[in-house]
Amino acid sequence: MKEKNVKKDIRSWLDERSGLSAVFRFLREKKIPQHKHSLWYYTGSAILLFFGIQVITGFMLVFYYSPTLEEANSSVARIMTEVPLGWIIRSVHSWSASFMIAFVFIHLLSIWITKAYRKPRELTWMSGVFLLILSLLFGFTGYLLPWDDLSLSATKVGTDIPRSIPVLGVWVTKFLRGGEDVTGDTLTRFFGFHVCILPLFLLALLVVHVYLIQKQGMSLPLDLERKEEKVKELPFWPNFVYREMIVWLVLIGILFTVSIFFPPSLDKAADLMAPAPEGIKPEWYFLFLFQMLKIFPAKILFMNGDTLAVLLILLGGIAFFFLPLIDNKPAERKGKIITVIAYLFIIYVVGMSVWSLL
Amino acid sequence: MKLRHSLFTRRQFLNGLLGGWLGAFAASLLFPILKFIFPPTREPDEVILPFADFQDMEPNTVKNFAWGSKPGIVKRNDDGSYTAFVAVCTHLDCNVTYLPDQRKFFCACHEGWYDENGIHIAGPPPRPLRRLNLSIEGENLIIKREGGE
Amino acid sequence: MTAKKKCMALFLLIVLLHSFVLLKIDFAQQAEQEKTETTQEEVSEKIVPGPQGIKESTGIYVFITWVWLAILVLVYFLRLKIKEVDRLLEIRFLSEKKK
Repeated sequence: MKEKNVKKDIRSWLDERSGLSAVFRFLREKKIPQHKHSLWYYTGSAILLFFGIQVITGFMLVFYYSPTLEEANSSVARIMTEVPLGWIIRSVHSWSASFMIAFVFIHLLSIWITKAYRKPRELTWMSGVFLLILSLLFGFTGYLLPWDDLSLSATKVGTDIPRSIPVLGVWVTKFLRGGEDVTGDTLTRFFGFHVCILPLFLLALLVVHVYLIQKQGMSLPLDLERKEEKVKELPFWPNFVYREMIVWLVLIGILFTVSIFFPPSLDKAADLMAPAPEGIKPEWYFLFLFQMLKIFPAKILFMNGDTLAVLLILLGGIAFFFLPLIDNKPAERKGKIITVIAYLFIIYVVGMSVWSLL
Repeated sequence: MKLRHSLFTRRQFLNGLLGGWLGAFAASLLFPILKFIFPPTREPDEVILPFADFQDMEPNTVKNFAWGSKPGIVKRNDDGSYTAFVAVCTHLDCNVTYLPDQRKFFCACHEGWYDENGIHIAGPPPRPLRRLNLSIEGENLIIKREGGE
Repeated sequence: MTAKKKCMALFLLIVLLHSFVLLKIDFAQQAEQEKTETTQEEVSEKIVPGPQGIKESTGIYVFITWVWLAILVLVYFLRLKIKEVDRLLEIRFLSEKKK
């Protein structure tokens, strides 16, 4: 009994000075609706789990990684061969990146299909689109860091794509590369993006995104909202959190198993003067864009094929960003068409990705 | 002896089990992380040097060699024998130097003094200089950790 | 959601994730195949990670078995805990209804 009082004393001491009990009260009162689509509510925190793992393994890798042209590849080789269990940490970092981006896509699609972005959650969606772009940039910048042949070529291609955009494109490429070409400066710049600039932006946006979610509460799928009957709700703490813990534990288990049995390998250091190796591929989450650029012919009418493709992708991206404003009548025919577009998008992305591998 | 009432409630028991297992799980994940962050010491077991570099040393002179990532000193004594030290001050890890005219090792950081046998004689150093096992085998000078570790 | 449905959903999630993982590995293997076909001399320069020696291998397998065992035990305890807090919720709900 004495122990409990000590805990209470510490808690009240802290609460007098910080007002933390308000947070705990909020977490107990926050409600999560339970219905047949409730499973999707777990996707957001799964992303957070994998991001947390990225931060921790990232901290550890940065202890031994050297972001210079001469030492990048050899420092990764050292992590994989000399540092105790280094290959596991690198493997976890690599796999967790893929898992995180996979869940970002799943989360995005679930929001799109359930139309959770409708009023008043438009800003949550828009901050989410920025978070998606940041996650993809994390993947892109991280991919170069081992500085092997494959990652160098993938970066050359990837940073060349913005060039197709008229007027501004050249400057975007120069900004990403730190010059006209991919050099050691590109590597250092990408490292700076990956460990400093992008994390700060991501954290800032994450705070906005999570704050908006807490303020507005969990959304209901459209048809349930319109029925206006009482939906069973679970308090976030403790009922939903314990369920979330189960999901997290299983995900951690899968991540570890996969990381241990399928660790990524390391090719020899990139040679800036060597010809491009065969079979260049970006990471899986860029495959569908890569394929789209491949299938566009070199010239369409008067326009450069690449430019048209990039502009189409940009237009698609902008429409995507403004989706909540475009889908302003979700219950009507327009809304249903947009839901169908979501399914078509899934088929398109999967189809293009598979096609790019054939 | 059977107790009339339970020492703790079922809720406390379950909470204890859950918390305990979560702690064990977290600890088992922490272990590889700690192993990664604290890599093993990088001192070599032995260093083999060509004796030819040392056989013409004058008495009361020293020569440096690399003991892993630490500096090492080989000293030729007056009687012609050799002694090897790890040239790191036992106070706060600065590198020491040998002053032949004074027959003393000196650490400039906090003015620590050791005699020609590495025994600490003045200043803050708490222990003598660490000795290494030196042996001459054929053409090689072999330096090992003292005490056969 | 009933317990059975939850189990099924979890099972589906695991199957989905593993198939996604298998796809990724298949892509990686394809890429590696293409590479080894064209650059035979460079194969030796590629660093393939993994446990070195039997001691580390056994250690790894023991570790991953322990991880999954611990997860199963924790899931069991968490399910008990969920049953408890759900039951408390219903009692409170009922008592509020009575008011």
